[in-house]
Amino acid sequence: MEGFTRWISDLGEQFSYAFLENRRYMAYLEGFKMTLLISLAAVVIGVVVGVILALFKYTGSRNKKLRFLSVIANIYLTIFRGTPVYVQLLIIYYVIFSPLPVPATVAGFLCFGLNSGAYVAEIIRAGIEAVDKGQTEAGRSLGLTSGQTMALIVMPQAIRNILPALGNEFITLIKETAIIGNIGVLDVTKVGQNIGVSNFSYLMPLLLVAVMYLIVVVILSKLLAMFERRLARSDRR
Amino acid sequence: MIDVKDLNKSFEGHQVLKGINEHIEKGEKVVIVGPSGSGKSTFLRCLNLLEVPTSGEIWFEGKEITKAKTKEVNALRQKMGMVFQHFNLFPHLTIVDNITLAPVKLKKMTKSDAVANAMALLKRVGLEDKAKAYPNQLSGGQKQRIAIVRALAMNPDVMLFDEPTSALDPEMVGEVLELMSQLARDGMTMVVVTHEMGFAREVASRVMFMDDGKIVEQNRPEEFFSNPQNDRLKEFLSKVL
Repeated sequence: MEGFTRWISDLGEQFSYAFLENRRYMAYLEGFKMTLLISLAAVVIGVVVGVILALFKYTGSRNKKLRFLSVIANIYLTIFRGTPVYVQLLIIYYVIFSPLPVPATVAGFLCFGLNSGAYVAEIIRAGIEAVDKGQTEAGRSLGLTSGQTMALIVMPQAIRNILPALGNEFITLIKETAIIGNIGVLDVTKVGQNIGVSNFSYLMPLLLVAVMYLIVVVILSKLLAMFERRLARSDRR
Repeated sequence: MIDVKDLNKSFEGHQVLKGINEHIEKGEKVVIVGPSGSGKSTFLRCLNLLEVPTSGEIWFEGKEITKAKTKEVNALRQKMGMVFQHFNLFPHLTIVDNITLAPVKLKKMTKSDAVANAMALLKRVGLEDKAKAYPNQLSGGQKQRIAIVRALAMNPDVMLFDEPTSALDPEMVGEVLELMSQLARDGMTMVVVTHEMGFAREVASRVMFMDDGKIVEQNRPEEFFSNPQNDRLKEFLSKVL
């Protein structure tokens, strides 16, 4: 019993060292801001890259003269989905950007954005393919061009499949950015690690970091579920 | 109006259409019947190039559409309305938007003209109260009638029907066939793939029997049903009538 109370008060001391003393919570907050910033920038880049790749694949698969576009897209997808994002991060920062004065932060969100683009492309492709082929046929049979059919008939329906999956991709991305400390960016994980090392006591800082990720992910998941329900409601079936 | 010369179509080595020659006049109501897999739907879908023929020629209103550029194909499709087995209404658009989308986007009509035209057509099929509804709020028969209206809104010269009643509940088949008969009486040129022998008998000016990728026999409906020549057709009719 005595041991237990000592353990509890010990935990309190650890907590106060890891979080309260010297306003250390500000360091977590800064790190947390960095994590969110990088995730957000990466999502934007990922969506842009993903749309371009999906467009390449789509045009390349339908137009024989432009087949090289889908070949390019497929090579990109194979490389970015076939290697660990950690290795990609190291290569981009230490090899590709080493001769350039690019901050680690930029290299970081570029890497996660380019990586995420590969997954976003597949999300978009799957979303488009899930729309019944009869929709395209109906559009074309009325005399609409393939572009009009895509923009007016297929895409509005594909968006409903794509948006929820994109939300999940964003959630995954936030967690993946935890490795960015390895190129010297002070994200929330790195902050926790640093505070842990300063006192040789990792339990509290890492626990705090984990809880922060968890809170964001849970909130985002709830928002996403709400959003999906709204999509389903406007789906007048 | 439509001329088909030695039309062949293969899917991955499997030949579905085997050298079809056919001529369809303006005002004709051609009904195509035949067993599943005989190529009737593929033949119909070749007429507006939803399927690209492997070889052969298709002429429509004096133009060889099998050699036409994409732009010309789009233009000729405006003249050929098509109705599908599964309706293929656009679920994200209201009924009136389903009908006006193509005429407005293809600049055939202004938005207000297109809406007026759509409402007139809806009134004709007795569905004007559904203008603001979404497709998934309608019954199958209503959906198919809207799909017919959507095709008519482009003022086509010919209407192609690909098994328009096959996906309907039996009690809804009648309303769709009635609308199609009405269209036929108004003089629309029609090519209809169907299993509705009653419709073929009453509305068709010509009935075709397709089997194994070929048009095996065709005749005016009276002779077609009362005095079939081909053995395969006799067998088919004995099963469906």
